Amino acid sequence: MRKSPGFSLIELLVGLMILGIVITTTIVMFTERQKHLKQANETILAYQALANESEVWRRIDFASLNSTPPTFQSDTAILAPLAPYTAVVRVDNVSSNRKDVTLTVRWANAQRVARLGIVRVDTGGSSLW
Amino acid sequence: MVKRERGYTMLEVVIALAVFGVFLMIIVALTAEMRANEKRYPINYMAHPEVSAVMARMRKDIFDTKYYPAEWQGYEQTPKTLILYTLLQSGFAETVVWDFRTHGEVHRKSFNATQQSGDWVAHGLPDFSIGSFTLDTGQDAVRIKATDDQNRLAIDEIFVPRPHN
Repeated sequence: MRKSPGFSLIELLVGLMILGIVITTTIVMFTERQKHLKQANETILAYQALANESEVWRRIDFASLNSTPPTFQSDTAILAPLAPYTAVVRVDNVSSNRKDVTLTVRWANAQRVARLGIVRVDTGGSSLW
Repeated sequence: MVKRERGYTMLEVVIALAVFGVFLMIIVALTAEMRANEKRYPINYMAHPEVSAVMARMRKDIFDTKYYPAEWQGYEQTPKTLILYTLLQSGFAETVVWDFRTHGEVHRKSFNATQQSGDWVAHGLPDFSIGSFTLDTGQDAVRIKATDDQNRLAIDEIFVPRPHN
């Protein structure tokens, strides 16, 4: 008697496994891409705010750096999509004529951080920095 | 003997529907996440080459700006037009008008003395606006902003001219 043609259980399982691997890989790639795009968007927003703030801190009088409130002075409306976020400034006195200013934005429960540091040197009041 | 026509059993149909349902759920979940991100984040214009080109050219012009003329050949300083007098690499200077008045377009018109020497156009752009940002030092920075079609702030950058002797 002729055996009726069809797939065996093994063939079917192997086929399903291959299909499963392909689909899972596609979904994982898609999800990762979405995640990276979202992170890139967030980073771009954060660095715009950091770059703007650095222009402010670059021009604050050298002697006033420590007494200036350690918060962002510029408008941070661009950071709205990252809310809740924190934006802080730290001034480190490296030497008598050098201070390092570090601007930091943290978001996603402080899991994500963007930082920008500038070095301020006491030029004696000239417009150089 | 008549061959019996065999269809799918109920179990086969239920399993097929279940597998299809799982894929459908995954796709819906991913789409919902994408929609949520789209609603939350403004369009990433920095990935747009024309936007990058505008920002880069404008940054260079403003870095080398000596002053901002109030008006020039029919143009006035407005949130949609920026006039600046900027240094060239040659050491000479030119007057540049950035014109954002046409929706989706930006014109950079340069003038050598009173003669127009260039008109660079970028297309497919968001709605830009120009604002001033005065620093404590008295330097007049330029604040350039752009919103996307949902009126979300997508670009907000301050450009400050560097000091010139």
